Amino acid sequence: MYQYDSVDKTIVKERVAQFRDQVNRHLNGELTAADLQPLRLRNGLYMQIHAHMLRVSIPYGLINSTQMRTLAHIARKYDKGYGHFTTRQNIQYNWPELADVPDILDELADVEMHAIQTSGNCIRNISSDQYAGVAKDEIIDPRPYCEIIRQWSTLHPEFYWLPRKFKIAVTGATEDRAAVQFHDIGLEVVHNNANDIGFRVYVGGGLGRTPVIGKVIKEFLPREDILSYCDAILRVYNLHGRRDNKYKARIKILVNAMGIDRFREEVDAEWQFQKDGDLKLHDTDFDTMAAFFPPPAYEDLSDGDERIAKWRNLDSRFNAWYDNNTVEHKQAGYRIVNISLKEHAVAPGDITDDQMDAVAEIAEQYSFGEVRSTHEQNLVLADVRQSDLLEVWKALDAQNLATANIGSVNDMICCPGLDFCSLANASSISIAKQINEKFTDFDELYDIGEVKLKMSGCMNACGHHHVGHIGVLGVDKKGEEWYQLTVGGDASNNAELGARLGPAIAKDKVGDAVSDILHVYREQREDEERLLDTFRRVGVDPFKERVYAETN
Amino acid sequence: MALSNTKAKADRSKKARPKATPSRIQSNIESNQAIVNQAIVANTIIHVAETEELTAADLPTGEISVPLNLWLAEKDAIKARNAKIAVQIGVDEEPEDLVNDLADVDMIVLPFVSHVDGQSYSHSYKLRTRFGFKGEIRAIGDVKFDQLGFLTRVGCNAFELPETENLETALRAFQEFSEVYQPSADSGVSIFSRRRAVH
Repeated sequence: MYQYDSVDKTIVKERVAQFRDQVNRHLNGELTAADLQPLRLRNGLYMQIHAHMLRVSIPYGLINSTQMRTLAHIARKYDKGYGHFTTRQNIQYNWPELADVPDILDELADVEMHAIQTSGNCIRNISSDQYAGVAKDEIIDPRPYCEIIRQWSTLHPEFYWLPRKFKIAVTGATEDRAAVQFHDIGLEVVHNNANDIGFRVYVGGGLGRTPVIGKVIKEFLPREDILSYCDAILRVYNLHGRRDNKYKARIKILVNAMGIDRFREEVDAEWQFQKDGDLKLHDTDFDTMAAFFPPPAYEDLSDGDERIAKWRNLDSRFNAWYDNNTVEHKQAGYRIVNISLKEHAVAPGDITDDQMDAVAEIAEQYSFGEVRSTHEQNLVLADVRQSDLLEVWKALDAQNLATANIGSVNDMICCPGLDFCSLANASSISIAKQINEKFTDFDELYDIGEVKLKMSGCMNACGHHHVGHIGVLGVDKKGEEWYQLTVGGDASNNAELGARLGPAIAKDKVGDAVSDILHVYREQREDEERLLDTFRRVGVDPFKERVYAETN
Repeated sequence: MALSNTKAKADRSKKARPKATPSRIQSNIESNQAIVNQAIVANTIIHVAETEELTAADLPTGEISVPLNLWLAEKDAIKARNAKIAVQIGVDEEPEDLVNDLADVDMIVLPFVSHVDGQSYSHSYKLRTRFGFKGEIRAIGDVKFDQLGFLTRVGCNAFELPETENLETALRAFQEFSEVYQPSADSGVSIFSRRRAVH
């Protein structure tokens, strides 16, 4: 993975010193709370209902064991012994003290981590495919490009006070696991006919209050132009994006208002001024960066391990874990292991300090000392020898990290909701628990198969509910928590927004409604159809009828 | 929706230009001190706020900066004052409107009604890198310690801070970072170009 050079180290350390000075000035009364607010946000520090929340950046979801141990240490020393992985592949701490935050950031800097631009109206953490470099369907490894964009966008002086936050995602595989069509800029690394590497560039996608699928602004952008072109998009946005209404301030609103063709013309005109300037990249830049992401030292193995096959027959729990939580690897003899952070009765994405330490240890022993975080709020061990799977399973199981529910309805994406967040209308963690309790029978869960259930506690959509196969949105009705359901959303290549099922549902009925939807699916499915496929064939009506049958 | 906030090129006639919008300074700004080229200096400039009725005849004597609209309407009268020429560009205006006059202009003033509105950063960047403006670019209004570093990077070299700010303390802002990742309007070079030179 990428390793800081002296420039990176200097910038991150100087950034910590800057923030320490800002906090000191605030505590001395020289910097008002109002003036500190946008500064602390750009260092990942929010004010929530009960306390501050610190969001630490995990660029494109990649961390090593040393860093994971530091994250555990921070949870233990400065927080209440746990952290929360987010849908942007970052980690949040819910209880740090303001005066401690510079020390936390210093400890992070020591292991080449930071919290820069994890919040605020600036360019946020670059997100990517959690299986980058190891996925069987990968065409080009997106990580070197992510890191190049991360560096360009970090402390960019001109794009630090944008109309609104700005998110960039990169994918390089056939199956888009990074939801690039739902980002302010989405990049798909592709080859053109001449076999040159470049990007298909999407712009103006996003969720939030006004969900929009990104539009293609460039079918093929040569890779050497990626920074100058992003720079041009950002300048057009900075100059023309709306600032009069924060709900109309994202680039998607500007792109829709101008129309993609006029927006493209503006960007191209801007781009001409700087296309061949200092931002133009050279082949050597990509080579230098790619050298940080070499394939690990794989052994020469073949697929299929007899002992594992035997144990899959002997132990149904192990077998279920193998089926649900591991994924095929491009290297023979290896498999990708998902670590479920969706244990029953635990808030989705939460992990304790001891669990983090254990993951660091397991990664060191079995997966070249690297871990990835996913936008579905789980972790991944990307390079596990098939022959080690039983040991890895046992080690994870001992930490309650082997719940065999990846991709199932229990593997839901969930924002912190009303329990922590000052924006939320409704609780999401308690709904997650309610749904979990509906589906305790794992055989039933496996029979239902892939369901992406995504839940947000308010229309800001941190839980990506619009693109859930089943989406749940918390709404406030005269001070009560109600829930709006959608069906048929999809964040992958065939990007779709979910269809609204009907009127909002009372809090205690959400689990029943999800259960009804899945009953209809099981009755109506044909062949190997997933919920999403059946929905696409039969439409929303059968689901609607069942869910609202009792109330009619 | 109408592109009210996207400044279409056709709207650049003087008649179409709104005056005294909430995006511009609402009353004259006058500071005793300024930071120019990273040093504290005495200051006498009055930044004249735009009103519907403002004409060159109303301008106070001494060093002033004028709103862009007034400059475009009454260039000759303003030049005839025989003083340094300073023109304000609000966040809802465009530096392109001043491009043909840059030779006449000594100072461009970027007024911040709110420091979180970052449009002036792009204005400054364009003035330096695209239009070659070599005179002083001065940020005024809601500009404090923690904005000075990045404003310097995009080409501002002078600042007037609100009276409540300690200018001595604010000078620290220029020392916070010794490295940068990306080029802008300062001498910063792309980190990728620099690494390439080493390899």
